[in-house]
Amino acid sequence: MNRILPLLIILAFVLSSGCTTRDIAAESDGNKIKVGIVFDIGGKDDRSFNAAANVGVQRAKKDFPIVLRDVEPGDPTSIEPALRAFAQYGYNLITGVGFAQGPILKQVATDYPQLHFVLIDSVADLPNVASLLFKEHEGSFLVGMIAAYKNKTGTIGFVGGMDIPLIHKFATGYEEGARYVNPKIRVLKNYVGITDAAWNNPGKGRELANSQYEQGADVIFQAAGNSGLGVFDAAEAYNKFAIGVDANQNWVKPGHILTSMLKRIDNAVYSVVQDEVAGKFKGGVHVYGLENNGVDYALDQYNRDLIPAWVIEKVDQAKRDIIEGRIKVTDAMVQ
Amino acid sequence: MRLIRELVFPLIAVFAAFLIGGIIVLLIGDNPIEVYRLMISSAFGLFDALGNFTFDNWGYTLFYATPLIFTGLAVALAFKCGLLNIGAEGQLYIGAFASAWVAITFSSLPGWSLIPLAIFAAIAAGALWGAIPGILKARFGAHEVINTIMLNFIAVGLVSYLTQNHYKTPGDPIMQTVPIADQAQIVRFHGLLSPLGIDFPQRIPLNITFLLALLTAFLVWVFLWRTKWGYEIRAAGASPSAAEYGGISVRTQIVLAMALSGALAGMVGINEVLGYRHRYYHDFSAGYGFAGIAVALLGRNHPLGVVLAAILFGALSRGGLFVDIFTDKVSKDLVQVLQAIIILFVAMEALFRGTFSKFLPAPAKKA
Repeated sequence: MNRILPLLIILAFVLSSGCTTRDIAAESDGNKIKVGIVFDIGGKDDRSFNAAANVGVQRAKKDFPIVLRDVEPGDPTSIEPALRAFAQYGYNLITGVGFAQGPILKQVATDYPQLHFVLIDSVADLPNVASLLFKEHEGSFLVGMIAAYKNKTGTIGFVGGMDIPLIHKFATGYEEGARYVNPKIRVLKNYVGITDAAWNNPGKGRELANSQYEQGADVIFQAAGNSGLGVFDAAEAYNKFAIGVDANQNWVKPGHILTSMLKRIDNAVYSVVQDEVAGKFKGGVHVYGLENNGVDYALDQYNRDLIPAWVIEKVDQAKRDIIEGRIKVTDAMVQ
Repeated sequence: MRLIRELVFPLIAVFAAFLIGGIIVLLIGDNPIEVYRLMISSAFGLFDALGNFTFDNWGYTLFYATPLIFTGLAVALAFKCGLLNIGAEGQLYIGAFASAWVAITFSSLPGWSLIPLAIFAAIAAGALWGAIPGILKARFGAHEVINTIMLNFIAVGLVSYLTQNHYKTPGDPIMQTVPIADQAQIVRFHGLLSPLGIDFPQRIPLNITFLLALLTAFLVWVFLWRTKWGYEIRAAGASPSAAEYGGISVRTQIVLAMALSGALAGMVGINEVLGYRHRYYHDFSAGYGFAGIAVALLGRNHPLGVVLAAILFGALSRGGLFVDIFTDKVSKDLVQVLQAIIILFVAMEALFRGTFSKFLPAPAKKA
């Protein structure tokens, strides 16, 4: 008997759990709108991409009566169960951050047509999914101009994270903006890697930046997530400039961050939550560009004295030109 | 039964881990009873949060357990020959890519021949990748721990290169191959149970590979304890010099054991590629190869123990995700803490055997 007893105890325990999962979540959430967000592999503290999304939902939590729960999957196998967990619990608005979640989110959204979904950086063609796209190439054009105006050596650099069409958008826009100012400028381009480990390798980012600074670049635009922090370290070590991305990173190395290419994911996510709370959720593709403050360049107390006023004027003029169609920036993702 | 007695230690380890984990949860500021109820009910519960009957929880738990059964068996079998196979991660990637390659390349074959061919490819490729360190050890005495770890890196590099440059859909930002041929997709539990009138949702990726894993565990038991070749492997592991004296070539056993071990790890690919994603998806393994070591350890290197330990770890993965999402303070890291404590306690069993042996069931009388 005493041999079987432990097994019996476990069996009883397991079977009793077959009772309902009325648990912490269900009891405390009540009747509020429930918002769930599944972050990308980089985690919500990457100071750029995921952090921007987090800022948006946290701001929404302060302003609206919502229940907000988030999860950092950590590996690709956990994304689908995380999205499905939110759906199972009847969460009204479920957000997937990053294009890697696109196909999976589309599958889950198909299975739960009565719930609303948000997808960032990719398109899922369903009426209950709001796909948020950004015109990164336009914002990159502006920071390319700033880089070219600041440049003294004839060479600037670009360090991308993953070598994929989305990041080529940043690179192409940056190069076009730089050439708009200086047609003969040399633009060095390197990528940290080809898998999503490329977002999380500051050491490699630093090495690539070192090499570009050695080749004469004096401004490097990083579009590499967490790896970009390595680029900033190199800028400080070489006493040169870098440009941040996604969130405002001017404060990270004051005096060395020339500007940041803002991708206002926070505003975009906030406005979708706002719509959901008001019952006005709109599915389909939402494009955010210069015209609706979706992308921009950052100007604040950390970089105001790095950029002369006349440069700001020129860049703002170009901004108006792009919005009104007089300048066309190539979108490298459109084949 | 001696088996029950052997299981007592791992059970004590699991209970102790949950106890300590509960204290940690208390210190973090959440209610351990609620956290564990959420964890267990999302792993094994038959009803969802709204009170509806659901297969989801068991379905996902067993689906997560499937690769761990394979890698656990791989590590356990190698260990029976006295070898530490730390290369299950690389072996499973090679096996997965091989089965994807077959299912993509030979797409003109009908399902009844393509699927077995893809399964065979996973097994053969894994066996090859396992045999390499086996041969290096047998021929040169090179330690298999180092070689298997290094081969993990080579495997990942090789497979990434092939995926990125030859088998990816052009313009696809996600690192994955093109989809496999439709007829190579193996049947999920939905397909198995719907002819019986049971509505098991199609979206749950639990598929027939789970049953294959159980069968494989049984076959490994038969092989190791009921065949001559299994006996030779165990003898070579228990006492190499005695085995040599008895006429067994230990070097052959090493290669054989490592090849079989790699083959078992390669079978993870069947579940992942043919049963779930229907393509090779880079980085799909959430550390299955290394978790297999823990599973083998907890399962005391016995196929039945491995199956039970794999289900436990699968449950922890499933439950951990829900605990992460639906509690305020506890994160998925709690699962890793629990796993770590379990492994620590199992490894400390010598301490338990000595100090607490008087609480154990009496051993069988010697004949």
